[in-house]
Amino acid sequence: MTSLAARPPSWSGFGFDGNWDVVWYYILVHLRITALALVLGAAVAFPLGLAGYRWRHSYPAILGVTSVLYTIPSLSLIVLLGLGFGLGLLNDKPLIIALAIYTLAILVRNLVEGLRAVPDSVKDAATGVGYTPLRSLLVIELPLAVPAVIAGLRVAAVSTISLVSVGGVLGRGGLGFLFFEGYRRNRTSEIIAGIGASIVLAVVVDIALVLTRRVLTPWTPARAVR
Amino acid sequence: MTAAPGGATDTSAGDVAIRLEHLTKTYPGAFRPAVDGLDLAIPRGELVALVGPSGCGKTTTLKMINRLIEPTGGTVWVEGVDIRTQPTHELRRGIGYVIQQAGLFPHRTVGDNIATVPKLLGWDRARMQARVDELADLLRLDRGLLGRYPAALSGGQQQRVGVARALAADPPVLLMDEPYSAVDPIVRAQLQDELLTLRREVRKTIVFVTHDIDEAIKLADRIAILNVGGILEQVDPPAEMLRAPRTDFVADFLGDDRGIKRLSLMTVGGASLSKGPVVGQSATADDARATMAELGYDWVAVCDGDDRLLGWIGAAELDGATAVGGLTPKPFLAVVTADTTLKAALDGIVTSRTRVAMAVDGEGRYLGMLTVDDLAEGITA
Repeated sequence: MTSLAARPPSWSGFGFDGNWDVVWYYILVHLRITALALVLGAAVAFPLGLAGYRWRHSYPAILGVTSVLYTIPSLSLIVLLGLGFGLGLLNDKPLIIALAIYTLAILVRNLVEGLRAVPDSVKDAATGVGYTPLRSLLVIELPLAVPAVIAGLRVAAVSTISLVSVGGVLGRGGLGFLFFEGYRRNRTSEIIAGIGASIVLAVVVDIALVLTRRVLTPWTPARAVR
Repeated sequence: MTAAPGGATDTSAGDVAIRLEHLTKTYPGAFRPAVDGLDLAIPRGELVALVGPSGCGKTTTLKMINRLIEPTGGTVWVEGVDIRTQPTHELRRGIGYVIQQAGLFPHRTVGDNIATVPKLLGWDRARMQARVDELADLLRLDRGLLGRYPAALSGGQQQRVGVARALAADPPVLLMDEPYSAVDPIVRAQLQDELLTLRREVRKTIVFVTHDIDEAIKLADRIAILNVGGILEQVDPPAEMLRAPRTDFVADFLGDDRGIKRLSLMTVGGASLSKGPVVGQSATADDARATMAELGYDWVAVCDGDDRLLGWIGAAELDGATAVGGLTPKPFLAVVTADTTLKAALDGIVTSRTRVAMAVDGEGRYLGMLTVDDLAEGITA
């Protein structure tokens, strides 16, 4: 995304005309922040979830910590990460890390619940026919947890897309920037563009995840896929 | 199964496929063993049913054979090899395992499910495909199902796939843990019949856990009845056990219809038949009356010129008639063949008007007659 490195285009006038490149630019910024937050969140949630699944007793603690993190107000967390942890507020890092932290509560829970929902008869059979525990996890249990994991990703993606906009207060936050700036400059068109684009983005990402699930899990009964 | 290098071998194996030697399992925190010093030899090629009430340790015993449960004492020998001398996953790949809910992998096609163990063993594609097709035919699974996912299959089909998966790598030993208890009674009876047929085609040593004594009687070469705590009460072929239960526990477990159950193990072919009141179609009414009087019946069976059984005529209908040929015989409700079990024959006897079961051969020719007295003689003999 080399275009992102260039100087951001700015909104001009009070209509939509000539501003579509601005909207497109912020859509890409928004998408980039969302994607990085989700990837980072998933990268942390995956080992945490596996630990919670493998060592039953650790799960309540893991769940407790991620749930408490989820309750921290977003703006406070971003400022805390930016100033308290020295990341600065003039880049996307505190925002991305804060959003990633919020995804943990959902992603960890869905991974563990998905793994636990694998029927005992299936796990028993996997062991009984001679899968080692690691191989059973990789080729039996994790693939069967995919529907639950993607369900978690959908919730996390949509909530992350809406939360990115909070960064607009600090002059960042992708499409959020448009409606904060539009509000400041009294430009209704810019506000509408920012809100409309983030809704469209959320819907498109959600549909993409549903389609991903259909491709990855052809074995689920068609009616259950929504 | 090959002997593990350097592993202990049981020189006394002989015709024994599986030997349990003082096998014991005490679960952590339990104050008495689930299985206590069990000794049991399972002959090669036999189906041995482990039967008993819940808590008798039958499933625990089964799972100690493929080390899904680790014994706390004693030894299991499979084909003369102490099972502790090889890695558990290798041991399990050499032992077929069938469980109650089939336990198919929902995300894999039926064909891939069947090919599970061959794939683990690294067979090439062509060999796996050929084996999958072979097993589908053996278990009467339509090959069109091989590309479907398990969710599309009925319970009975899933259970057949479970058996096919267990047989895929042609293991000498099969462990079946209540395989048919989750399907409805009609399908269960079908699956049991199929297992009997299957065993004529592929000779396997099978350990079969069930709580259903009738299932054990139907399927097993030998039944091992376990009491709570894994105490072995008696091991015997079903007929022998029904004839002579060694303890009160065994007698209770077999139920108060032991005699009837024994009848289910015997067939008409092995029973002694009575002659019965029978006349030819061309006989006169007087002949028929004489036959009835001689054997003490108020009806007479009629056969055609080829000895084929036509039906029966009651004494009242003979009144005023001169020849049997002019009357229409009523069909017998209980007609049995050599393969019919004596239990089924008894059912026919008690529900038919004439109180007998008529035995015929494959062409419908009359062989003889069975009465309740004939059956009773079979049981008490």
